[in-house]
Amino acid sequence: MIEKFKREWLTSPGTNIMAGIVVALALIPEAIAFSIIAGVDPMVGLYASFLIAVIISFVGGRPAMISAATGAVALLVVPLVREYGVEYLFAATILMGIIQIILGIFKVGKLLKFIPNSVMIGFVNALAIMIFIAQLQHIFGISFDTYIYVIITIAILYVLPRFFKKIPAPLVALVVLTSCYIFFGAEVRTVGDLGAIEKSLPSFIIPDVPYTLETLKIIFPYSLSMAIVGLVESLLTARIVDNATDTYSSKNKESRGQGIANFVTGFFGGMGGCAMIGQSVINVRSGATTRLSTFTAGVFLMLLIILFGDLVVQIPMPILAGIMVVVTISTFDWKTFKYMKKAPRTDVFVMLITVAIILATDNLAIGVIAGVFFSAIFFATKISKVTVTKELINNNYVFYFEGQIFFASIDTMIDQLEFKKYDKDILLDFSKAHLWDDSAVDAIDTMVRKFEDKGNTVYVDQLNADSRKIVKELSQLNEQHLT
Amino acid sequence: MYKSILLAADGSENSFRAAEETLNFINKDTMVTILNVIQIEKSKDAVLHGENTVKQQKEKIAKIIDLYNKENVNYNVIFERGLPDETVVKVSNNGAYNIIVLGNRGLNALQGMMMGSVSHKVAKRANIPVMIVK
Repeated sequence: MIEKFKREWLTSPGTNIMAGIVVALALIPEAIAFSIIAGVDPMVGLYASFLIAVIISFVGGRPAMISAATGAVALLVVPLVREYGVEYLFAATILMGIIQIILGIFKVGKLLKFIPNSVMIGFVNALAIMIFIAQLQHIFGISFDTYIYVIITIAILYVLPRFFKKIPAPLVALVVLTSCYIFFGAEVRTVGDLGAIEKSLPSFIIPDVPYTLETLKIIFPYSLSMAIVGLVESLLTARIVDNATDTYSSKNKESRGQGIANFVTGFFGGMGGCAMIGQSVINVRSGATTRLSTFTAGVFLMLLIILFGDLVVQIPMPILAGIMVVVTISTFDWKTFKYMKKAPRTDVFVMLITVAIILATDNLAIGVIAGVFFSAIFFATKISKVTVTKELINNNYVFYFEGQIFFASIDTMIDQLEFKKYDKDILLDFSKAHLWDDSAVDAIDTMVRKFEDKGNTVYVDQLNADSRKIVKELSQLNEQHLT
Repeated sequence: MYKSILLAADGSENSFRAAEETLNFINKDTMVTILNVIQIEKSKDAVLHGENTVKQQKEKIAKIIDLYNKENVNYNVIFERGLPDETVVKVSNNGAYNIIVLGNRGLNALQGMMMGSVSHKVAKRANIPVMIVK
């Protein structure tokens, strides 16, 4: 226990603290930008990022992973905030946490294995596209100066890392260009035009909503979507960090931890969040291995806001928009185009339908569920090919069955049989088949009865152990059939 | 003859040429350590596209391994995760190597100026001799 604590908190503290600081600097523009996407004050995203990072550092399952306010969750809550206001967002965040804790207890982390890569690729691509689109309103049709700021920001973000990587380029862009704006002025909108910054720690609140069934009806669909999307992105990120560090982490503990973090965050005026792929990669690349890095990221972010909150409101929006454009470019999976040429057509279809449904519904959760649904159907179709071959031995028939026999495959199986046999011995050989469900057993009962109606004697042979077991339990066949 | 050589290999054509060049500086007592750096940025691709990173990296340097097997070179292979330039320097500082050998990326003048290649950075920061094979 103490061993584990030491390993997860105290291994190379210097490197981990430095990594956490780098992440905190990169988190600030994102937390503000995501608040603006959601339509709330920047403080809502900043408080959320501080709280989620600090809480998850204690209760998360994946050391060195960064969780904070995220675009995926922000995009989901836009209609809720617009129609009902920010207090409902806090309530929805609390409920999101409760749902995630319950899912964590029921070990849903394991279920996420059933989300195929095609859906995951669709998820990250749709996420990137949506955040990109959300930036356009801060770039186009505002002023000439806006374009200049955006272009310089993007240029700094691409060129600077070629020369040195120690200081994150987004921070350099923020500091240099905000200084330019403060000294020289420009015709641009600033963070202050879109919301206020408070230089104080978050405090405990009870969301100011009527505690009625009506409210629950309003927030529940949002909370459920937030919970699902939060877990999908968190567990994807956990797998990426597992890969990058060559270690394994508990996905159920992570699900529960995400729930606890969101539950608490809602009570302190924060919006829901989850793990962040980009930030986690920055953290690990900076050498982070422990929970201390995540903890530092949260604390340092809050410290910066308390110290420099006055400057934050002066940040020109086009800098944030430029940073977010670059973030979306690195979020997008550029291997998609190669994937579309090489992957099986059904996988490509699932990926595209996931993206299309997300963009059509503005809801990442619906897209993921639809994507999983389609891939399940394709999978079922793919494995529901049963072949039946017939052989005539000594004037008696043997039917060989090959494949997975279950509800989706019984029709194709029965279609391949001819029942016009009379007064023969018929052997049904299942040595290369597997019976999966009661539909399969029903189908075999039906086949046997149809043959017997025409005076044949039927034997069912070579069932494997599992198949034999369900036949024994569910079938009307007798011992004589199963010799 | 060098006793211990650190060969930084990314699997490119140039790194293969560096591996070939190394044959000129070894005898039967020389140990060549083939270092392959796995970039952390690639982890997202690895997960999304179901690729096993270490396995893929092994395939990338298979050509070098084949060559060294054929030439009876004493070698071992290590995989490290991180930024290529930093990792090569770090590994060279942590072991008793006599020289670092790596391939030049062969960037054109503009790219060389803009980006500063891995070989350039390693040459600048390493504490032991560095051989860049063109």
